[in-house]
Amino acid sequence: MAFANEHITAYAVEATEFPDLARRYRVTGVPKTVVNDTVEILGALPQDAFIAQALAEVLPPAGEPEQQPKG
Amino acid sequence: MSLLAPAEQEKLREWFNEMTGPVRLLFFTQTIGCEPCVQTKRILDELPALSERIAVEEVNFVLDKDKAAQYAVDRVPAIALLGQNGSGAADRDSRIRFLGTPAGHEFMSLIQAILLVGGAASQLTDASRARLAAVDKPVTMQVFSTPT
Repeated sequence: MAFANEHITAYAVEATEFPDLARRYRVTGVPKTVVNDTVEILGALPQDAFIAQALAEVLPPAGEPEQQPKG
Repeated sequence: MSLLAPAEQEKLREWFNEMTGPVRLLFFTQTIGCEPCVQTKRILDELPALSERIAVEEVNFVLDKDKAAQYAVDRVPAIALLGQNGSGAADRDSRIRFLGTPAGHEFMSLIQAILLVGGAASQLTDASRARLAAVDKPVTMQVFSTPT
């Protein structure tokens, strides 16, 4: 995702080596994703669901704008 | 002695052959008091031998504070992946970072990131790309994992 958009920076963090970060972000299981220190996603999700959740605060709601009007 | 079995090396060579551009791994490390740095170096040292497109550059985290700040690296071991820029040199920041030893699952994630930055196909769908294109504010994502 970072590679696809220059506004996005991605860190892969080894949780056991950095217990301070694991504590700060309440990492109780893995994978856990934290976006802009506010959005937390625990576990793996399908790609579209992951993007929708991860970017919920920076993007308008998914779906509606892309849908073609019916009729 | 290699950390990787011959069959694993062969598989990685095959994957790296799909790359179309160079990738430089900026490896932030320190010489004292960082056992994971030693392990990370052993892992990264395996990679350039498997592809001429992969280079590893060590950055002294203690002495080269400017570079650490430039790449927003505040702890070690850390790896920043750089890809090809317009002139062909591998100095364009991919904004993909690895913090901690890239072993186990993280090793596979690192390999996938190298392939991506090196021009092998992205795993994003066209729909995902379209969504991501709309992001116009800074976003920092941290993905926590463990080696096993």
